[in-house]
Amino acid sequence: MAKDIGKPIFDLFLVVASAIGFYMATTLPAVSMAGGLSPASFPKLISGLIFVCAVPCLIRDSYEWLAARRVREGVTALNATAPKKGILQWLTIVALIIVYINSFERLGYIASTAIFCFLNVVCLVITSGEFQKLSNSRKLRNLAAYTVFAFTLSLVIYYVFTELFNIPLPD
Amino acid sequence: MLTGYIDGLGLVFQLGTLLAIAGGTFLGIIMGVLPGLTSAMAIALLLPVTFGMPPVMGIGMLLGTLCGAGASGSIPAILLNIPGTPSSVATTFDGFPMAQKGEAGRALGLAIVASFFGGVASMVVLSLLAPPIAEFALRFGAAEYFSLSIFGLVIIASVAGKSLLKGLIAGLIGFFCSTIGTDPIAGVDRFTFGQLSLLTGINLLPALIGLFAVSQVLKDAFEYDPSNKLQNSPHKVDIARPRFIETLRNWRALLVGIVSGSVVGPVPGAGGSIASLVAYDQARRFSKTPEKFGKGHGAGIVSVESANNALLGGALIPTLALGIPGEAATAVLLGGLMIQGVTPGPMLFESQSGIIYGIFLAYLVANFFMLIIMCLGIKLFVRVLLVPRKQLISAIIVFCFIGVYGVDGDVFNLYIMLAFGLLGYFLNRYGFGTAPVILGLILGPIAESNLRRGLQTFGGDWTPFFTRPISVTFLVIACGLLALTLWQNYRTRQQDAAPDAA
Repeated sequence: MAKDIGKPIFDLFLVVASAIGFYMATTLPAVSMAGGLSPASFPKLISGLIFVCAVPCLIRDSYEWLAARRVREGVTALNATAPKKGILQWLTIVALIIVYINSFERLGYIASTAIFCFLNVVCLVITSGEFQKLSNSRKLRNLAAYTVFAFTLSLVIYYVFTELFNIPLPD
Repeated sequence: MLTGYIDGLGLVFQLGTLLAIAGGTFLGIIMGVLPGLTSAMAIALLLPVTFGMPPVMGIGMLLGTLCGAGASGSIPAILLNIPGTPSSVATTFDGFPMAQKGEAGRALGLAIVASFFGGVASMVVLSLLAPPIAEFALRFGAAEYFSLSIFGLVIIASVAGKSLLKGLIAGLIGFFCSTIGTDPIAGVDRFTFGQLSLLTGINLLPALIGLFAVSQVLKDAFEYDPSNKLQNSPHKVDIARPRFIETLRNWRALLVGIVSGSVVGPVPGAGGSIASLVAYDQARRFSKTPEKFGKGHGAGIVSVESANNALLGGALIPTLALGIPGEAATAVLLGGLMIQGVTPGPMLFESQSGIIYGIFLAYLVANFFMLIIMCLGIKLFVRVLLVPRKQLISAIIVFCFIGVYGVDGDVFNLYIMLAFGLLGYFLNRYGFGTAPVILGLILGPIAESNLRRGLQTFGGDWTPFFTRPISVTFLVIACGLLALTLWQNYRTRQQDAAPDAA
């Protein structure tokens, strides 16, 4: 199995985050309680434990990655396109979700949801290369279908949830 | 107990409740059919629908979802050789060969009936074992609850992640996140950064939906490949006639499945895939024709599917009686119960016995609905497999938004959901698992408040945590399990390293 550099990077993130968590816990107001444990004690204990557990993971995953890198030098370049496409698709959907959150109340539920659904499907078919393979007439037909899907989904869900289940959604 | 059941009957056998259970079962089946959508995700997505419902109706709907998703994983396993849920992996061993022989309908008929028998048997086990365990748990004080929380975390950490350390880290992240908000004892704000929405701590629902639904969507987006189509001709099936007689003819396999599921189910963290593989292996050992297994043998399907559903009721025992969920789906269900205002644990059996027996009965009813809906709607469920992934990804995100925003109309919770989705994505990708995080979020406040209250009661003395019999038992078992898991991890690494060295 190819080793992913993300593994040691994520471990490192955990090590740093736990250290920051510990530091922030030390800045909490010192309230002396009967029994000896202050509001800072538990977070300090937990962040300390995360640090202690994450350091061995970081060391082990770094070793494994370095070992795999030595073996697989040259091979990774051949497989580079597939992960790149995946990363692009992943980043696109994360960005779209952030935009969706920001526009959720501003544009209202129906408009923001329809735009999100349409853009999400279009971005996925473009970044995956699916769209480029289609003929021009097919592209137009598909775009029309995605638009219908986006508006139908947002309208149906809006009325089902607001009318049937009485869940308030932004107008 | 009888009064509890009579009260429960009154709560369950109302038109609205029955419709909710049927609806939950139907939606659970649809979610279970789609590979990649787990029962935990199905429950997380359906939680918002239950907000306005009375407890038994809402929980009945979620139990229906659990039951439906548990059973319908067999459909893609049989028709496409792709398990819909991890626990359906063993169903492919005999289900797919049977479909290849043109017996897809028979395989599905056996799977449905075996799931039904497994589910009903597990309800009996649940209703017999949960009350005495809850009664025993009434003796628990602060020290015992603290030790129980540590025990629960260690158990789920030892099986959820790819290594014990990673599972523990995931659980501890949950513990740390549970400290955000106002401190339960001193009333001090912790890690709120002046954000009013964080004063009451991290809401469970955005965390649940983020960890189980958004993280999965992000994974699907990463792996989205238009050339990899599921449409690659699922085996055709017109009707899945329930095969009662044939299932009962395989009584050995059925019994093995029920016993395996019921035994493995209550063990926190064991999970459906373990129960089904144990059942399959044991059914082959007990069979008079073991050579037929793996070649389209009905007994193989019966053992696996009965174990899958027998496991669900078993897994509900620690969830309801102790408030300690055994695996991801029951962890999400526990979150659902808490959102409904029902706090699982021994007090629930004392104070709201009508609700608890109503939950038992709702689970039984869900199994009947599963049988009926699966038999009648099999053609529809097969078509669900044809829904394009790109549209499905959009629809799931939209449902996540409704679920999170619907709780209190706070956009900040959508950011929390996304943050947990990203965290869950990386935790899953790098072998940490997400179930320990949610368990940490649930158990964190129990552990912290009982530790601090216990120390206040004992005048700062730690020894009662290690000397009170029940408390020390939990801690000793937790330590034993830690040692055992470390030993197993070490052995696995040694075995993995041996071929490389050779």
